[in-house]
Amino acid sequence: MKCYDLNIKGNSYNCNKELILEAHRLGWDYFNLLFSPESYEKAIKYKNNLRDEIEDIIINNLRNKIGLEFGIEIHPKNQNELYKLTKKYRNKTKFISVLGGDLGVNRGVCENIQVDVLSRPYLNLPSCGINHVLAKEAVKNYVAIELCFNDILSSYLSYRSKIMAHFREIIKLHKKFKFPLIITSGASSIWEIRSPRDISAIFKYLDLFEDEFNNTIQNYPQKIIEFNNERENMIILGVKKI
Amino acid sequence: MKLKILPPTLRINKRYLVLDVKSEVKLSKDELVSAIWYGCLRLYGESETSAFNLWLIKFYDIADNNSNNHDINNKIINNDKKSINGKNSQYYHFKAVLRCQRGYEDKIRGSLSMLSNHNNKKIAISTIGISGTIASSIENFIN
Repeated sequence: MKCYDLNIKGNSYNCNKELILEAHRLGWDYFNLLFSPESYEKAIKYKNNLRDEIEDIIINNLRNKIGLEFGIEIHPKNQNELYKLTKKYRNKTKFISVLGGDLGVNRGVCENIQVDVLSRPYLNLPSCGINHVLAKEAVKNYVAIELCFNDILSSYLSYRSKIMAHFREIIKLHKKFKFPLIITSGASSIWEIRSPRDISAIFKYLDLFEDEFNNTIQNYPQKIIEFNNERENMIILGVKKI
Repeated sequence: MKLKILPPTLRINKRYLVLDVKSEVKLSKDELVSAIWYGCLRLYGESETSAFNLWLIKFYDIADNNSNNHDINNKIINNDKKSINGKNSQYYHFKAVLRCQRGYEDKIRGSLSMLSNHNNKKIAISTIGISGTIASSIENFIN
């Protein structure tokens, strides 16, 4: 099984290299490094070098093919800013993730086909940030909802249990409405990365069983990547240049 | 007087988890045991953890090649931190074999991976394998 991690926090060249090598050792195969719009321009210049260097190091490994992509994570304050930023960056990158945490932004993202992922919709909210209306919109526009493992890892006591409760609620909605759900590590250093099987063990406790978990780390991310690779040839949804 | 050993049908079934441990500071076997118990108790509480039947069987310091086949009771003298391709993120790297009750592997795996700090020092524990015997766990995942 190929495991996709669509949210690794981009940092300096060496940090990224270390993080990817460690994640590969633990069983991940595809890495999507997310940068802020300001640092993305600088980072995209060394993408090919980074991929070559990592492939040179893991040449003796059985799983010596890795996938590497760079994306942008945007933090809009309101819906207007969301539309401006997505329009601005859509043609510059293959992957746009929007940080949730505001009910208006969550709604705007779910209704926007230009966005790939709504990251952490529960952030700083008393609820999980998703309801049946947003769930249906997410299905319609194929916007994936992201659950970030690092949120559980970096929190403790009541805050951790609240985040786990939000995860449970989102998983419940996912089972009912079948919107794309992805699980990511959200790691920014080697201390925050865990193997896919470890993460699976935790999500099993949150009512996400093995088949569903495999979809969240393999099938849904794969579909998002395939869709994004064809996005530039698409005139409108369903019509593409050949 | 020593108790007679239970017949095989009455013994509990065991599984052996092979752990990959990264730590900011040098760990002893006792410190790792304390971290494992802390992680399980934090996530599942006292009543559920009581069914796990945890016991740390083997502990290896990976940085020291000579210590690859001995228990922690033999003193470890190597102080070198492991670095990834000579870069700056250095950590102490250990492997361990943890015995648990069959059927609880996933719960233990989950609670260990949720551990990020112990005694205010960074620690990361991943389970790299599960096995039915100590010998096969060492052969497949440590050697």
